[in-house]
Amino acid sequence: MSVASASYLARRAAQKERVRILYRRALKDTLNWAVHRHLFYTDADALREKFEANRSVDDIETIDRMIAAGEATYNKWRHPDPYIVPWAPGGSKFCRNPTPPEGIEIIYNYGHEDTA
Amino acid sequence: MASVLRSSILRHTRVPISTTLTLNESKLIAVRSMSSYGDVHLDKQEVIGRVLDVVKSFPKVDPSKVTPDVHFQKDLGLDSLDNVEIVMALEDEFKLEIPDKEADKIDSCHLAVEYIDNHPMAG
Repeated sequence: MSVASASYLARRAAQKERVRILYRRALKDTLNWAVHRHLFYTDADALREKFEANRSVDDIETIDRMIAAGEATYNKWRHPDPYIVPWAPGGSKFCRNPTPPEGIEIIYNYGHEDTA
Repeated sequence: MASVLRSSILRHTRVPISTTLTLNESKLIAVRSMSSYGDVHLDKQEVIGRVLDVVKSFPKVDPSKVTPDVHFQKDLGLDSLDNVEIVMALEDEFKLEIPDKEADKIDSCHLAVEYIDNHPMAG
């Protein structure tokens, strides 16, 4: 059952990465819903308990099913207006002041170059 | 006439320039810049100091073991989920938004400091 073949290990590694990314997104979502930090800490602990409860599962198919169920729950509970850092895509400052193209410069004393 | 009077009055009532703020006889080190366009870059020592502070204040970590070369899972005995939590705390500290794939790869203090140092918008 525990055949340590390369494909098995690769699949387990991919699953672990999916779990990490799911935990990261779920944690950010928890912060979006529970804005105040003291509420966030209790909710984050509860989320961690849910992940820790399934820590010792070994069967690869069960793990796949659990990850799919977890991602479905995450998609169901996604916040409609998440906090995104302002300069990142989706934030309020994204593309607000893009850098001007090359060769363009501002002339500060237009019309009065002779008195410069 | 009025301008001469004005300048003479100003010469008497001009307030001297105050010296820089000192707090307990030491200068304030970390002054936050108001610019939010990523044109002011952080000092590497400051980045290392702040990253180590964040890692030390993590509840599952022993503060005396934290050095700038420490690996989160191998040296500090943390979990991969704890790794995710530390990366989120670093994102909060430096006001960054790290993409999921990049955040997965940050495994040690050294990588974290390097990533934050090379990020243009690190606050």
